Amino acid sequence: MTQILITMGVLGGINGLLALLLVIAEKFIANYGSCRITVNGEKIFEIQGGSSLLNSLKTQKIFLPSACGGRGTCAYCKCRVLDNGGTVLPTEAPLLTQDEIKNHVRLACQLKVKKDLAVEIPEELFNIQEFTAVVEKLEDLTSDIKLVRLQLKHPETIQFKPGQYVQLQNNPYEGVKETASRAYSIASPDSDSRVLELIIRLVPEGIVTTWVHQYLKAGDEVRFTGPMGDFALHEGEGEIVMVAGGSGMAPMVSLLNQLEKQKSKRKITYFFGAVKRSELFYEEVMKRFGERLVDFTFVPALSQPDPDDHWSGKTGLITRPLDEYLQTIDTSKVQGYLCGSPGMIRACIGVFSQRGVENDRIYYDPFS
Amino acid sequence: MKPTPEEERLMNNFLPGKISKDGFLGSDSRHIHDIIEEDMRILEALDVDRTYLADRLHFFIRRGREGLEMPVEEEGYRIEVHWQRGMLPCPFGEPGLHPKLMAFVTHSASGKTIRYSQLSVHLIRRHGFFGGKGSFFRLQPRELVHFFCDRAGLACAKDPETAD
Ligand SMILES: Cc1cc2nc3c(=O)[nH]c(=O)nc-3n(C[C@H](O)[C@H](O)[C@H](O)COP(=O)(O)OP(=O)(O)OC[C@H]3O[C@@H](n4cnc5c(N)ncnc54)[C@H](O)[C@@H]3O)c2cc1C
Ligand SMILES: [Zn+2]
Repeated sequence: MTQILITMGVLGGINGLLALLLVIAEKFIANYGSCRITVNGEKIFEIQGGSSLLNSLKTQKIFLPSACGGRGTCAYCKCRVLDNGGTVLPTEAPLLTQDEIKNHVRLACQLKVKKDLAVEIPEELFNIQEFTAVVEKLEDLTSDIKLVRLQLKHPETIQFKPGQYVQLQNNPYEGVKETASRAYSIASPDSDSRVLELIIRLVPEGIVTTWVHQYLKAGDEVRFTGPMGDFALHEGEGEIVMVAGGSGMAPMVSLLNQLEKQKSKRKITYFFGAVKRSELFYEEVMKRFGERLVDFTFVPALSQPDPDDHWSGKTGLITRPLDEYLQTIDTSKVQGYLCGSPGMIRACIGVFSQRGVENDRIYYDPFS
Repeated sequence: MKPTPEEERLMNNFLPGKISKDGFLGSDSRHIHDIIEEDMRILEALDVDRTYLADRLHFFIRRGREGLEMPVEEEGYRIEVHWQRGMLPCPFGEPGLHPKLMAFVTHSASGKTIRYSQLSVHLIRRHGFFGGKGSFFRLQPRELVHFFCDRAGLACAKDPETAD
């Protein structure tokens, strides 16, 4: 106990001293004036100095990823700062490798813009835009999963690759006075670029999902940024085996729409896991895919059906029907597409590898 | 003592809507150091190490994860784990993120249930923080000790396999 208090005290003391020095320094040189940020050697912005690089880029509609709200803990906002970045700050050092430090990688949320900077940012991040949209429809798909249909307002259309996600921002509600952003996969086809459908599962005590499930109404205006993510359909001739559970349905619908649009002739088998019948949804949508795709099979499996469910389909954890199925086919060209709880994804990766589907043919979004 | 700006920034993380919906303090108006200190005194009096409790909580998460959202039975407890995509920072501000994973553990014989998240385990292990009184995720140290240790005179032996 004493040890914790001493550690906290010492850390607090050092941090406090550093912060105090910073505050004093800021008092004398607080006005950094206008600073120029050159991005990838070509885009040049004039901004008012004094904010973090992350926020300064945001004012120029360049959205670096961040999962900790700029608190310097997630390290997603890493980018290379080629000129004038100064030395790595104590708040950045633990999150950077020696190689990254050598390569001038910095945390954009910690680095304050005080001088002209030259930075390097992955090109794909330039496609990310900030959108406002109006909630056109909210629909209960199960007791804890909602479909949210958004009509885009500004910009009016979005270009995305099926499988990608957006970061939805909550509006303030109840005790939540600020906004937070969370990733949600796009469930709608890319053919109608004016609307976006998301499938959102309520998470206990979740900031954004509580807002979506208990406060959001049709007609409300919302904000999101996107599109992001690399989860996408990959070229190949082999069978596509999809596995999802819960809200993991979302990107699968988007991929199936794409396969339909491409008039794909590939064999597709989609395993969807739920506990009981009331947690199954989109059975009609799947039936329609069955009619429109050349060779599509939807395999729902219930891990614990209620007696009232009168369930005659597959039972057990989703890994079981998946494993049984993979044993009956030639897996040498199979591609696996996974979406759902990280636990389910891990377990299914195990099944795929055991049945000869190499990791480079298994696709899923990172868990974070 | 007046908090430093850095301390103030960290204290802010514990408030509603910053990192979690209702914050980490509930209706507790005490300073975080005081909350930790009182809980540590309780554990000292019971002669239980908080690492032991964190190990137990983590062990049940690991077992529960195998159930893929279905209940798993272990040592007379029933465990259900719900793991969502996405990560969460620690309010104490050190680097790293924690999975959004909720565990519900029920002692089958008594029917008593505790609920906690993966972040709760980290907060107990690293910071000795069990949550402010009245907060959704607070685990009462005394109750937790009874929950894990008092069963049929079982000693609070460490589980060597587990780690955060
Ligand atoms: C690429 C990607 C795509 C995704 N797509 C989808 C999708 O299509 N649909 C979908 O529904 N989700 C999706 N997610 C998950 C989504 O981004 C969110 O993580 C999820 O909805 C939870 O957000 P939230 O704000 O409601 O919960 P948060 O508030 O971020 O987290 C709530 C959890 O934090 C923990 N916690 C909160 N407070 C405390 C406390 N005081 N003490 C200890 N622990 C605490 C608990 O585990 C709690 O359950 C996706 C995630 C990723 C990374
Ligand atoms: Zn911590």
